[in-house]
Amino acid sequence: MGISLSKLTEKTNIWPWLLLAPLGIYMLIFFVVPLAEVAIMSFTEPKVSLANYQKFLTGALYQRVFLNTFMTAAFVTLCCLLVGYPLAYLMAHSKPRTAMLILLLVTMSFWTSFLVRTYAWMVLLGNNGPLIAFLQMIGFDKPPQVLFTRFSSTLAMVHILAPYMIMNIYTVMKKIDPALIRSAESLGARGWSLFRHIYLPLTAPGIANGSVLVFVICLGFYVTPVLLGSPREQMIAGLIGHQIEEFLAFGLGSAMAMILLVVTLIILTIYHRRFGLDKLWG
Amino acid sequence: MNSFMRWAGFIVVLFIAAPLVIVVPMSFSNASSLQFPPPGYWLGYYRAYFTSVDWLIPTWNSILIATATTILTMVLVVPATFALVRHRFRGKGFADLMMLMPMAVPHIVMAVGYYSYFGDLGLVHSHLGVILAHTCLSVPIAFLVLSANLKGFDRNLERAAQSLGASPAKTFLHVTLPILRPGLVISSLFAFIQSFDETVVAIFISGRDAETLPRKMFDSIRQEADPVIAVISTVLFFVVLIGIAAPYFAGALRSRAPKPSRPAGAH
Repeated sequence: MGISLSKLTEKTNIWPWLLLAPLGIYMLIFFVVPLAEVAIMSFTEPKVSLANYQKFLTGALYQRVFLNTFMTAAFVTLCCLLVGYPLAYLMAHSKPRTAMLILLLVTMSFWTSFLVRTYAWMVLLGNNGPLIAFLQMIGFDKPPQVLFTRFSSTLAMVHILAPYMIMNIYTVMKKIDPALIRSAESLGARGWSLFRHIYLPLTAPGIANGSVLVFVICLGFYVTPVLLGSPREQMIAGLIGHQIEEFLAFGLGSAMAMILLVVTLIILTIYHRRFGLDKLWG
Repeated sequence: MNSFMRWAGFIVVLFIAAPLVIVVPMSFSNASSLQFPPPGYWLGYYRAYFTSVDWLIPTWNSILIATATTILTMVLVVPATFALVRHRFRGKGFADLMMLMPMAVPHIVMAVGYYSYFGDLGLVHSHLGVILAHTCLSVPIAFLVLSANLKGFDRNLERAAQSLGASPAKTFLHVTLPILRPGLVISSLFAFIQSFDETVVAIFISGRDAETLPRKMFDSIRQEADPVIAVISTVLFFVVLIGIAAPYFAGALRSRAPKPSRPAGAH
């Protein structure tokens, strides 16, 4: 009796549906349909076939770009971790004033448009910039080309994505109970051993969160690789844009977009199963 | 371990800070190309920015589009958030997940979709097209902020109002809304910034008629690296600095540090 009654009220309660309806309809028209159109175009442009996927899977250029994208994303994630971990540590274990100043800096970086940051790296790494001047000063007669290489785009991406890593690790570090560290020390854990066996495992959730986030964003990164990277070493988002803008190859562009989407969703699904997607963005 | 971490952390501080501050001296430079340190200083590029229609129109477009996006996003998201936080119904888990989906899809994928779909609808190169697309992309961040606020809402306050004779509408207007105001403000702000900064979709669909500031900056950096970009960067730098530093100094918001979470996939 009780069960059927609660079922009845659940069915008759139309309030949540009324409240959800406007957004639901909107998302259907302006989110689901455009995405479906990409999926359909990947099979039907220019004619109904699997040719676009075949082209992607057999073309040496596409495979190289795909592989390059993965390697870059993995490398950027690793660099963000190496850069972000010490900074998060400094924030979590400094005097409140210092910690707040660093937090302010990281927040600034977070909120500064990444176009601005990309432009700043162009200045820093350009032929008339401070890095080249420094290299000339220490004796390079013909300094190497730095801008528009894999190095410059990777460096800028690390700078742009590091705040995501830092904030995730910092949040976890702040919650570590200092008594835990003290008791480990009293039991004889020192230096590397303390870090390896106590501190690092305690911060692992933050590392996992930050790494997934940085990796997934980096996979689909368009602007910075296009502006700062070498034209010969594109990432997949840049190649998709190229297919659409230059060649109007909607079929091939859509097929690559679908592959990027599926890979991204697989990673996020695994993450969602373990931690819950709403935790990812904090 | 401690001293090593501190030294490494200090170097990282320089790495994070250098690109943020370098745009300020660059904006006063009188060099016509990217040169640092600048050979001399003047305000010429500030004049160029504030008098050039080529830059002011995209700035205006961005403000207009971000404002309309914020309004539309909030109109859609506020009721939906109430439904998802306060009601239990079948398919709620799915609906929760769907709210976050626009964040999970890389923007380049959405750009391809909008380029083709809005092409069919005649919405490319129009303000309306960019607003409709940006609203989708702003939904997740507005929802995340607002739902976190609404979950922490003490419903006893509403019950107290109603037990004292307030109608549901009155309770909503005089109790619920005022308490939720900080959440509504922050969530609107996030929606605004998400739209104002969005680049990839704007590059593909805004065209020349509804060109946004990020699109104009992207084109300019790609073609000639116009020094005016340093001016815009400096202006944006100080807007962000004031926006972040103000709460630290404003007494009313002293306990509330700015939360630097930001939509992902925004690049």
